[in-house]
Order: sequence, then structure tokens, then C-alpha cells
Amino acid sequence: MSHAPNTAIAADAVAPTDNQSTAPEVITFPKGIPGFEACRSFVLIAPETESLVQCLRSVDGPAASFLVIDPRKAMAGYRCELSNADRDRLQASTDAPLLWLALVTVEESGTIVVNLRAPVVINPQRMIGAQVIPHQCLYPLRHVLVPAD
Amino acid sequence: MLVFTRRRRQTIRIGDGIEVQVLRIGRDGVRLGVVAPPDVPVHRQEVYEQIREANRTAAGAVQDPTLVARRLGAGRE
Repeated sequence: MSHAPNTAIAADAVAPTDNQSTAPEVITFPKGIPGFEACRSFVLIAPETESLVQCLRSVDGPAASFLVIDPRKAMAGYRCELSNADRDRLQASTDAPLLWLALVTVEESGTIVVNLRAPVVINPQRMIGAQVIPHQCLYPLRHVLVPAD
Repeated sequence: MLVFTRRRRQTIRIGDGIEVQVLRIGRDGVRLGVVAPPDVPVHRQEVYEQIREANRTAAGAVQDPTLVARRLGAGRE
């Protein structure tokens, strides 16, 4: 199998607002993400199963929502090593399967770009996530996926 | 802020495991070497700023996964 295990959470599986803190679908980002440090809890929403593009949405702190894509679907051969420090942050063992997501931006011009430099990595076993800045894999911060019409 | 005067090859030590050494002093910049434990991330400040800025732009943009997926698919055909 060449594609990632489907760890996406279907939209209808997202917890109702009254029990978000206990719902297992909530992913904890202990340090938030840069620019949104107050957002510590996110949910991953897919418009449909096997969706290419999903939505990572904060459920606490300021409202924040990001479109995300598997970086391997954004760039063939994308490969990144997680540092031991980042692995510890995610409480992930060396062989733990991890969910890698790259943030997608639809720019005002219509150009669709993806941030391959600083992917979001989620440990589905612990539901902990972080945006990491790997030293060993210098992919572009702004990689054009679709040029403007 | 603590301020030090350091010459080439001189070092500042921070805590138990972090060392910052002046390697070269040029006209346009100072080359520094940083030794830090593996659990201490070391990045240029600009990298953080760029990522923060990219995140803010991403969050402020159109959030329609279906539309984006369709355009991505169309771009590949």
C-alpha cells in the first residue's frame, strides 16, 4: 500500500460542543501552533471519507481553521524524519504510525500553495499534535500546488 | 537582556548544556556555533516568524476543502 493509513475523522464523528473536552476525536496541541499558541485543541474534519483535503479546526481559544493535505500527495517522494525531541513531544514510540499533514492556503490570487517546510504531525494513538520544523528536510514553505486561474 | 562582549572563539554558556560560540566576525555578520541538547530546538528567529505568518495567512484564507480538492484533481489531469 502506497498511501497513508486512513486516520481521518469523518465529519459526522466530530463531538458535539457540549462534550468536546472528553471526546477522543479532539487532538491536543500542547503548544498550539505558531501564530495560534492559544489554540490547544483541534478536530480534523473530512468532508467525505478518503477526502484529499481535510480541515483542521480549533475547538478552544480563538477560532482557527486550516485546510490540510497529506504532504506525500502534495509532492511525490516527500519524506521527513522526525527528531527525537519532536517524537517525545508527540509521545510517539519509534515505530508509532503518525499522521502527517501540510497546511494548504488558497491565496487571494487563487493560487493554491502548501507549506511543506513545517508540517503538522499527529500521533493518533495519543491524539497529540504539533507543528514541527524538521532540520533535515528543507522543503519549501510555499510550494505551489495549483497556479492561479 | 544580558549583554556580553565576546571575541572570536569565545563562548557563552547557557545552563548545563547550551554553548554559543563566536566562530567568525565579518563585515556583514557574525557566524555563531550553537551546541545544545537534542531536546532543545534551535532555529533562526526568521524561520519561526515565517511559519507564524504562513499560518496566519492559511487561517485567513478560503476554507473550502471540496473546492480545493476539485482544483487539485483538475490540475493533475
